[in-house]
Amino acid sequence: MNDGGLHNRKEQEKSQKQSKPSKFRSKSDDFALAIAKVAIAQVCESVGFQGSQHSALETLSDIIVRYIYSVGKTANFNANLAGRAEANVFDVIQGLEELGSGLGFAGGSDFDRCVANSVIARDIIHFIGDADDIPFAYDVPRFPLVKEWKEMESLWGKGEQPPGEHIPSWLPAFPDPDTYAARLSVGNETNSISSGEKTELARVERKMERSLLNLQQRFARNGNEGGSSNYGGYAGRARVASESNPYLAAPLHFGEKEVEVSPVVLPAKLSNEVALRNPVPENCDMGNRVSVLETFAPAIEGMTSGLCDLDNGQKKVVYNQSVHFKIGIGKKSFGTAPYFNSQNEDLEKIASWFRNDNEKDDKKRKAEKILKESIESSQKPTQL
Amino acid sequence: MNHNPQSSDGKHDDDSTLSDFLGSLMDYTPTIPDELVEHYLAKSGFQCPDVRLIRLVAVATQKFVAEVASDALQHCKARQAAVVKDKRDKQQKDKRLILTMDDLSKSLREYGVNVKHQEYFADSPSTGMDPASRDE
Repeated sequence: MNDGGLHNRKEQEKSQKQSKPSKFRSKSDDFALAIAKVAIAQVCESVGFQGSQHSALETLSDIIVRYIYSVGKTANFNANLAGRAEANVFDVIQGLEELGSGLGFAGGSDFDRCVANSVIARDIIHFIGDADDIPFAYDVPRFPLVKEWKEMESLWGKGEQPPGEHIPSWLPAFPDPDTYAARLSVGNETNSISSGEKTELARVERKMERSLLNLQQRFARNGNEGGSSNYGGYAGRARVASESNPYLAAPLHFGEKEVEVSPVVLPAKLSNEVALRNPVPENCDMGNRVSVLETFAPAIEGMTSGLCDLDNGQKKVVYNQSVHFKIGIGKKSFGTAPYFNSQNEDLEKIASWFRNDNEKDDKKRKAEKILKESIESSQKPTQL
Repeated sequence: MNHNPQSSDGKHDDDSTLSDFLGSLMDYTPTIPDELVEHYLAKSGFQCPDVRLIRLVAVATQKFVAEVASDALQHCKARQAAVVKDKRDKQQKDKRLILTMDDLSKSLREYGVNVKHQEYFADSPSTGMDPASRDE
C-alpha cells in the first residue's frame, strides 16, 4: 500500500512540474494575471455576485486569459490564411465564431452567411447596449516595459577607437587602464622591495593607493549611476577627499602596512587570544587573501609579541589591521577602510618584515594565517 | 444571381452596421483593460494597430465572462433555493452570493471547459483510515 502511495505521489509531482511552466503560469506573467483577476472580479460583481472563492477567481481569470490568447491566435491564423500579416475585423469575428461554435449560434449552419452580418457581432452590440459601463478599477500602465538601450556603453558610442582590429566596436568599452595597468607594475617591483629602499616603497605605495582608490570610486560610482564619464577629475577630487576624510582613504594592498592607534579596550585583546585557540576558517575570497596574509605573516608575529609587551598600564593597544579589497558582490560593503594613520617608523618595520619573508617556514606561515583570520573575524563587528 | 442586387444592398447595410458597430465600440469602455488584452494578443502573434479591434476582443471577452458568471449565479441561486426549503433561517444567513468552484465548474462545462477541482487534500495515503488497518 505504501509503495503504491509513493508511486502516485511521484506521478503527481511530475505532472505538477510539467503543468507548472505553462506560458500562463510563469513568473513573468504574474502582473497580467493579477490585473485579469481584478477585472474579472469587477465583472462578477456587476453580474450579481457578492464574493468569490480565491480558487474560483483564479481559475476563471486563467480561463479568460486563455480565451483572449486563443481569439488572437485564431484571428492571426485567419489573417495569414488570407495572405495578410495584419488582422482584420473579419478575422476577429470569424475567430469569435469559431470559439463560440461549441455552443452554437443562430445562422451557424448557413453556407452563405456574411461575416459582417454575423450573429456574434449583433450579440455584442446588444451586450454593449444592455450592460453598464464599468471602467477598470486601476490605472494600468503599458506593459511590458521596453528599456532603452544605453548607447554609451559601447566603444562606438563613446567615440573611442578599439585598441585592435580584432575588437568590434559594438562591444562595451575597456575599463580605465590605471585599474589594470597598476597591477602589472606592482608585479615588477616586488623584487625591488626586498632591497629595502624606503623612498621606492613609499612611491609604490602611493601609486597603488591611487589606482585602487580610483577603481574603488569607479565601482561605487558605476553602482550609483550606471555610466562612465570624466574620470580624471573625479580621481583628483577623490584624492583630496581621501586626505581629509580617513574613511575615504584607499584600502591597503599587499606590500603596504598601516598601523592604527586606537583606544581599544583590553577585552578585545583578550577575546583575540581566546579566538586564537579556536581558529575559524573563512570561506570567502580565499584566493585574494592568501597572498596578503602571507606577506603579513611576520607582521602577525611581531604584533602578538608586541601586544604582550604593551599590556599593563597602557590604555592604548597597538594592533595591525589589514583591509582586503574585494571586487564583486558580497554581503559586506566593499572598500571599507578603517581608520588609520601612516607613520614613517612603521615603513621601516614593513621593509624589515619583507626581508625576512623568504625565510619563513610554511608551517609557521599557516599558523600565522589562522591567527590573522581569527583576529579579523573577532574584529568584524567593530569595523564599518 | 438574384441575390446580387439584394446582397449588394445588404453589403452596404452590413458595412454600415459594422462601421457603426466599431464606432459604438469606442464609446463603451470595457471593464477588461486594453493593455491586458493587448499583452495577450501580442503574445499570440496578433498584430493590429487598430484600437477598435482590441476593444472588440475586450468586449467579447467581457461578454463571455458575464455569461459564465450569470450561469454560475443561477446555479448558486438554485442551490440556495433548494436549501431554504429545508431550513427557513438559512434565508437570512446565506444572502451572500459567493462564486464557488462547484458552480463555476458546472457552468463552464456547458462551454466546453472541463474544470475539475480536488475534493480534499490529504497528507498521506493512510490519512483518515482506522488505526487498526493502517500500515506502519
